[in-house]
Amino acid sequence: MKIHDVIQVLLFSLVLQVFSSVSIAADGSAPSGVLNNEQCIQCHEKIDAVLTGQWRNSAHAKSKTLVDCVACHGAFHDSAAIRARQDQACIECHGGEKDPVVHSYASSKHGVLVKMEATQYDWTKPLAMANYRSPGCAYCHMYAAEHDVSVSVRQDIMQHSEAVQDTMRAVCTDCHAPRYITRLLENGEAMLEIARKKVREVDALIAQAATEFSEQQLSPIRQQRLKMQQHLVNVSLGAGHQSPDYQWWHGQPALDGDLLRIKGMISELRQQGQQ
Amino acid sequence: MRTRYLWVPLLIVVIAIPLGFYYVDWSKSGEGAGLYSRNWSPQEIFAYWNPDDFYESVDSVEGEFTGEQCVECHQVITPGVVNDWRKSRHSNPANDQPVVYCSDCHGNNHEGLHLPTPKVCGSCHAVQHGQFKDEKRYGFPSHSLALERAMDAKHFVDKPKAEVTACLQCHSVASKCDSCHTRHLFSAAEARRPEACITCHSGPPHPDDETYFHSKHGQLYLAEGETWDWSKSLSKGNYPAPTCAYCHMENGKHQVADKTIWKFGLKQVNPLTSGNQIRRKQWVKLCGDCHDQEWAAEQLRQLDAERKQSWEKLYEAESVLRDLRSDNLLQPAAKQRPPYPGDSPDTFLQYQRIGFFEGQASAFYNVSPMERDYFEMWYFDNLKSYKGAAHGDASFVKEGQAEMDHSLEIIKKNAERLRRANQVKVTDKEVKGNIWLEGEYTEYNWDNN
Repeated sequence: MKIHDVIQVLLFSLVLQVFSSVSIAADGSAPSGVLNNEQCIQCHEKIDAVLTGQWRNSAHAKSKTLVDCVACHGAFHDSAAIRARQDQACIECHGGEKDPVVHSYASSKHGVLVKMEATQYDWTKPLAMANYRSPGCAYCHMYAAEHDVSVSVRQDIMQHSEAVQDTMRAVCTDCHAPRYITRLLENGEAMLEIARKKVREVDALIAQAATEFSEQQLSPIRQQRLKMQQHLVNVSLGAGHQSPDYQWWHGQPALDGDLLRIKGMISELRQQGQQ
Repeated sequence: MRTRYLWVPLLIVVIAIPLGFYYVDWSKSGEGAGLYSRNWSPQEIFAYWNPDDFYESVDSVEGEFTGEQCVECHQVITPGVVNDWRKSRHSNPANDQPVVYCSDCHGNNHEGLHLPTPKVCGSCHAVQHGQFKDEKRYGFPSHSLALERAMDAKHFVDKPKAEVTACLQCHSVASKCDSCHTRHLFSAAEARRPEACITCHSGPPHPDDETYFHSKHGQLYLAEGETWDWSKSLSKGNYPAPTCAYCHMENGKHQVADKTIWKFGLKQVNPLTSGNQIRRKQWVKLCGDCHDQEWAAEQLRQLDAERKQSWEKLYEAESVLRDLRSDNLLQPAAKQRPPYPGDSPDTFLQYQRIGFFEGQASAFYNVSPMERDYFEMWYFDNLKSYKGAAHGDASFVKEGQAEMDHSLEIIKKNAERLRRANQVKVTDKEVKGNIWLEGEYTEYNWDNN
């Protein structure tokens, strides 16, 4: 831990002493020492059952590796909200800095602004009302303390989700004009649908090829199809996180490459069959 | 006798020149924009990337408003915008200058609002705008030509427009100053930092972000950058290590194109022409802010050597592909695949585009896997090595060169395989029921360009 971080934590705990009175007012005292998830839930169920309910509905609570209160907020009550509002709370579990999920955001305009300005932000403020110049992960995905992260993430990449778009629309409007948001959302969906077309084109080809060739022969084709899945995800991340690079070089042209390589492999198998 | 017929070429010139101008004008007058504007129509979102051609104001609110009135409403409707503005120099001008309100850049009439293009910003920031426009003299790559070159790219014209929106997000740098000075703070300090550039200058064809951050310059920035005084100008002595802008926009000059020698590494250039000798001197002088000038000149010579080595590999791969093309061995053949972007199926001469001057930049889809391998070798591996060499990142030079070697090996191996297979030579006949011409995306692209 750098000295800079230590000072930051100390400063934040000081600030929390001033600002945390609201959240603790329910029974008048904040618990001290190391806390576990059950202890958090026990209290917060009484204070804010909506919030704990949201978390129970979320992918965080339903995933095999449970992402509980402590995972994001840490084990100490001091600065618990401040810790969870910052991108560092999310990055490690979501694959680290180089993972497309994180990198597509980190290289977006929102991401680079947060990187440059994080130390100037007042992280004691709620994630709403444009309290932050640029949104971190939690600002959009846990807007106004929404603890069900799943409402802002599409469950099936092959399907359009109006609900997710509506959730995001409410967030973007803190800073962007309504018409701009609508057009951006529409365009993102159209861009993703084009990527889906490439995937469906390949799936139809593979389905046909599966009736002609053995699984062993198809193996390199299936491997290419697996890569294609990531490129499809990249388009979605690029549109969602507004990273031109993920929409494009890691996305659409990468899918074009998968498509033509799979066509090439199938053509060759067919030619070999004819000989 | 001879001068008697001088009027013939003169007349041709007199007719041809206006006709040429008329033709270019006519091509640009379509529903889209640029040279091929008659071949495509824009997505609605294009209004925000290319406002000059496509933006129309909302008409949901009527009336004329003063700057104060804009702020009053918008701090409720879009508080982030107003928060930003309040922190900006526009809202807190120095030396008794007037406050710059929303209406000064967007207009007063809510039904006739406009997006501030560089021209609007230039009405106050004339020096910067003049420098930015001056980039055009030096050609592409440059910020000020980025948008028109993107829209004139064959694949941009050919592909579905919702797909190529991605291009405009970066290439709109020509039409909006907030690509680097994000709205509505418009901070000079922000644009001085490398992060301001990396949303666009990243990814396989231009890993400027990675190569810079790997370099000693970038490592110093990552370790100490937080403590540097970013209010200072990009001039000698103000920063312990250079950022993107320190070198490419020295002294804050809004001109990134005047010093370019190797032109992004996309084609082979002679780095020693008289023009490039001047640019080399400019670089050496700039590096001389911190380094011995002879040492700096040697760095440029190493970059020349890296370029030469890369182009030897690229030309070798090109010649393998050209040989296959002349023996009709590339599969699918030109007539078995959708036509090259910008061509129609009955184009007189259909052939595979190999190499920069034949339009390699658009040859990344609807081509044979081998051509795509070459595309990646040229556009990804080659540029990885180039950017590594230019930014002082030895690891990317090594990786880029290794990847080029690997790609070349694969291209050669596949070429041998194709020749050995003794395939029936591809005839010019169109093949019915051909997978290269069918499929959900392929047909959609065909119908929606």
